[in-house]
Amino acid sequence: MSVGVQHLVLLGRDAPLWLAASVLQAALKPAGVAVTAIELPSLLHVSDVYATLPGIEALHARLGLDEAGLLRATGGAFSLGQNFVDLFGGSPPFLSAYGAYGTPIEGNDFFPYWLKARGLGLEVALEDFSLTGVAARQGRVMIPDEASGAYGRADYGYHLPATAYAVGLKSVAARTGVAMRTANHIAIERGDDGDITALIADGERVPGEMFVDATGSDAALIGKTLGVAQDSWRVHFPADRVFAARAQPFATIPTYAELRAWQPGWAALYPSQAATHVIHAFSGALTEPEEALGRLGAATGLALGDAVLRPSDPGRRVQAWARNCVAIGAAACALDPIHNLDLHAVQLGLVTLLAHFPAGRDVAPNRDEYNRLMHSSFERLRDYQAAFYALAPYPGALWDAGRASPATPELAHIIATFRARGEVSPMEDDSIPTDNWRALLVGLGVAPESYPPRVDTTASDTVKAQFRAMLGFVKDTVQRQPTHAQVLGVANG
Amino acid sequence: MTPAPGPELPRPDPFKVVIVGGGTAGWMAASALVKLLPAQDYEITLIESDEIGTVGVGEATLPHIKVFNDTLGIDEAQFMRETQAAFKLGIEFVGWDRPDLRYVHPFGTFGEPWAGVDFQHHWARAHAAGRASELHDYSFAIAACRNNTFEFPNEDAKSIRATYAYAYHFDAGLYAQFLRRWAMPLGVARIEGKVVDVVRDASTGHVTSLTLASGVAIAGDLFIDCSGFRSLLVGGTMEVGWQDWSHWLPCDRALAVPNMRTEPLLPFTRLTAQEAGWTWRIGLQHRTGNGYVFSSHFTDEERARDVLLAALDAPPLAEPRLLRFQAGRRAAAWVGNCIAVGLASGFLEPLESTSIFLIQAAVMDLIGLMPTRRSGIDPRLAAEYNRLFEVHYDRTRDFLVLHYTANRRHGQPLWDHVRDMELPESLAHKIALFRASAAAPDYLYGLFSRDSWLAVLVGQGVLPAGWNPLAEAVPLDDLEAKLADLRYRVEVNAADMTAHGDFIRSYCPAPALEPAA
Repeated sequence: MSVGVQHLVLLGRDAPLWLAASVLQAALKPAGVAVTAIELPSLLHVSDVYATLPGIEALHARLGLDEAGLLRATGGAFSLGQNFVDLFGGSPPFLSAYGAYGTPIEGNDFFPYWLKARGLGLEVALEDFSLTGVAARQGRVMIPDEASGAYGRADYGYHLPATAYAVGLKSVAARTGVAMRTANHIAIERGDDGDITALIADGERVPGEMFVDATGSDAALIGKTLGVAQDSWRVHFPADRVFAARAQPFATIPTYAELRAWQPGWAALYPSQAATHVIHAFSGALTEPEEALGRLGAATGLALGDAVLRPSDPGRRVQAWARNCVAIGAAACALDPIHNLDLHAVQLGLVTLLAHFPAGRDVAPNRDEYNRLMHSSFERLRDYQAAFYALAPYPGALWDAGRASPATPELAHIIATFRARGEVSPMEDDSIPTDNWRALLVGLGVAPESYPPRVDTTASDTVKAQFRAMLGFVKDTVQRQPTHAQVLGVANG
Repeated sequence: MTPAPGPELPRPDPFKVVIVGGGTAGWMAASALVKLLPAQDYEITLIESDEIGTVGVGEATLPHIKVFNDTLGIDEAQFMRETQAAFKLGIEFVGWDRPDLRYVHPFGTFGEPWAGVDFQHHWARAHAAGRASELHDYSFAIAACRNNTFEFPNEDAKSIRATYAYAYHFDAGLYAQFLRRWAMPLGVARIEGKVVDVVRDASTGHVTSLTLASGVAIAGDLFIDCSGFRSLLVGGTMEVGWQDWSHWLPCDRALAVPNMRTEPLLPFTRLTAQEAGWTWRIGLQHRTGNGYVFSSHFTDEERARDVLLAALDAPPLAEPRLLRFQAGRRAAAWVGNCIAVGLASGFLEPLESTSIFLIQAAVMDLIGLMPTRRSGIDPRLAAEYNRLFEVHYDRTRDFLVLHYTANRRHGQPLWDHVRDMELPESLAHKIALFRASAAAPDYLYGLFSRDSWLAVLVGQGVLPAGWNPLAEAVPLDDLEAKLADLRYRVEVNAADMTAHGDFIRSYCPAPALEPAA
C-alpha cells in the first residue's frame, strides 16, 4: 500500500468540478481516497454550451454515463465536426470532421494523393472522402462498423447545453460517492511550508492532503492563493469579448457545429435539441458590444435571446500543479473560445492527473511530469487555435490583426512545413488529430507547394480507380446511416 | 465526382541525388530511394571507393529493420541466407548493474494492462507485497531468450505468443553488398571512385559537383553524405558543428574481433560490462562477432585487447581491429543541399543496436521530405528534417546513458564516474519519476518504447518506491492470481518453441563462408 493522498478536496463549479470529482472518485475509491467537492455558485448561463470531442466518451464510460441517457437528460445532440463558413463569400465552406479523410492507397496516406490530384485539377473536396464529413452534410450520424473501420476512423462528439450537463454530472458525482457541499465563501488554510492544509467552506473546515482547483478562470487556489502567474497568450488571439446567446432549436437538427466568419469576428452555432446555442467572439477595441450583438442576429439569421457578454483572456498558468494543488480546466489554462475546446482541456488535465496521481510521499517527480505534459499539451492546443486566426483569409480589422500577430515558433514551423510539403509536423502531446489539422489548414487556404514524391510511384489509373471506389463507398455507407432525428428518437425512447 | 484527368506536363530533368559512401548507410539510402521514389523523377548515383573500408560494427539491429526490409519488398529468408543472419529477440546485459546480475531487454512487452493501468504499476505493487517474482519473468520474449528458441510472432494478437517483435544479427558488410545487388538492377548507378574535391556554387554555397580522383566530375542536386566518421560534406565542406556527448558517454574506442560460431546459437545479443566499458557478443550463422567498447581515459589499448580476448568463448579468427570515435551528433544533419546519414551525422555506441535504426529513420524521414524538381532545395523541408533528427538522437542518447549511470559497480573508475556524473535533465527526470511512481517514459516520437525503458530501468536496479494508486482497483489476491496465470502462459508457451539453431537451419541456412577478417 503506498502512502499518499487520503483526502482529495476539489473546489470549483459547473461541469469541470463535477467531471473532475466523479472521475477522480471513481478511479481512486479502491485506493481509499475520499473525494470532497466544494461547489461555488455557478457561473453558467442558460446559453452556454459545451462541444465535446470524441474522446469524452472514454470519461463517460468510466462513469457509467450512457449516451442515450446523457442526450435525453441534457437535450444534447450529436456532432460530427465543425463547418467553417465564410460569410464574406470569398472562400468555400469546409468541414473539420471527427473522422478520417480517405483511406490509404498502396500503404501510403491518402492525403498526399488528394493534394496531388487537386494540383492536377481535381475538384472533389477533401471532406467528400470522409464518412463523417459526408454524414454530417446529410444530417446523419455515422455509426462505425467493421467496414467503415477498415476505411478509416469515424467518431463523433456532442453538443451539450452546459447547465443541464453540469446538473447531470453532479448527480453522477453523488452516485459515485463524492462528498458534496456548497459554499458562498471560501477561506484557505495553509501550513508552515506553504501547502494548503484545508479549505474553510462557509466557516466549516475541510482538510485534505491534495486540492484541485476547478474554479475556472477565477483560479481561486492556484492563482489567487498560491500566486502562480498566468503566461498571457493575448498576442495570438485578437478576440477578447465573447457573447453567448441562444435561439429556438432547428426543426431538423444538424449533426455539426457551424462557424461563420464575419465582420466583427466569428459566430459559432451549436445545435442541440434544447436550443441553438451561439457563441460570438469579437474584439472590444474594434466593435461595440451592442453593434456586435446586432450583427450577430444577421449573421446567424436567428432570433437570439439570453445573451451574455464575457471577456476572453487566453493564457496558461506557469504551473498547472503547484505545491499540493492541481488546477484543472480554465484555472490551469484559459483557452480562446475558437473550436470550443474548454471541456477537452479539462479532460486532458484529468487523464494526465490519473496517469500521474501521486504514489507516495515523493510527489515532486509526479508534479514535474504533470506540469511538463500539461505545458506541452496546452501549448499544442494554443497553436491549433492560433492557426485559425493566423491563417483565416477574411477581410476586416479583426482578421487583419489575427494575421499580423506573431506565430509561436512551433506554429510557424507547422505552417511552414505544411506549405512546403503538405505534411503536418508530428508534435509530442498534440491531442488534435492530423486529419483536423489538415482540414483546417487546407480549408483556410494554405496551398502546399509540394507533396511527398513517394505517391508518384502509384500509377495514376490506380489512384483514379481508388478515388472512385472511395467516393462510392462513402456515398453508399452514409446512405445507410440513420438521420439525426432517428438516432435522437431512439435516445429519447 | 470523377477525378479530373491530369494534363500532361512536359517532364523536367530527373532530380539528381548523389550518395557519397557505400557502407550500410549508403546502400540503405540508395535502396530506399530507388524503390520508394518515382524512377522517372530521380536519378540515384552512389560513389564508393574500394580503398575506403567501412566500419560495419553494427551487426545487431532493432525490429524496425524488418519494417524497412518489408517496405522495400525484400525476401526475408533470402536476405538472411545472404547476410549470414540469425534472429534476435533482445539484448542480454551481463553485470551492468552489479557484476553478478544480468537481465534481458526484450523486443517485447511486459505483461498486460489491467483495469486500465499499465502493467508495471501492478507488478510494483505485487512485488512490494511479496506476491510477484521479478519483472523480467513476465515477458514472453525473455522466456524465449532463456530457452534459446525462436518462432515468428503469432498472428492472433491476443495470444501471449504475439507479444514480441524480432530483429536480426547480420554481417553489416554482407548486408551492404546484398542491398547493392538488390538496388543496382532497380537503377542505382554505382561509381567506383574517391572524392578528391567538392565544387560549390559561389552564391548559394550549395554543392554542385564532386570531383573524383579519376578527374571525373559528378554533378548533383542533392548530396547524401554517407562517408562515415569523415563526414566529408556535412562536417567537412559545410563545416556543421559537432555536439560532443562524451561527458555522458565516455567510451571512445572499440576493438572488434570475430571468432568461430559456438553452440547453441543464441537468439539475443549479449553485452557484458567490463572494467572500462563493455564487450559485445553477436552470434551469426558462420561466426560470432565480438568487440570491446571502452574509454581510453580509463584503460589502454593493450589492456583492452587482453580483456576482449579473455572474454571470447572460442579462438579469435583475426587480429582485433581498433576503431576510434566520440559520442555525439552534428548540430544539424541537413544543411544546404547536403544531408548526413549514418556515422557522418553522429555516433552513439552500439549499446542498443541503434546505429542501423538511426540510418533507417534518417532515410525514411528523407523519403517523406525529399526535395522534388518543383520544390527545389527548400530550407523548410530541411528544418523539419533536422527537428526529427534531433528527436531521434536525443531520445536515444538518454536511453543509452541510463545503462551506465544506474550501476552498482563500485570501485571501478569508469563506473564510478558515470554513476556520479551530472545527467541530461530529461534523463534525471525520467529516473526520478520512475523511482517515485513506476511511471515509465511513454512518448510517441523517437526511439524506445515504455517497455524498453522498463526493462532497462528495472534491470539496472532502479526500482519504483510507489505505483499508481489506480492499480488498487485490482484486489491483491486477484492480482497475485493474474500474475501467476500470466507467468504460466509465458512459460508453457515458451517451452513449446523451436530451438533457434534448428529454426535457422530449416528457414534460411546460409552457405558456409571463409571467416571474415
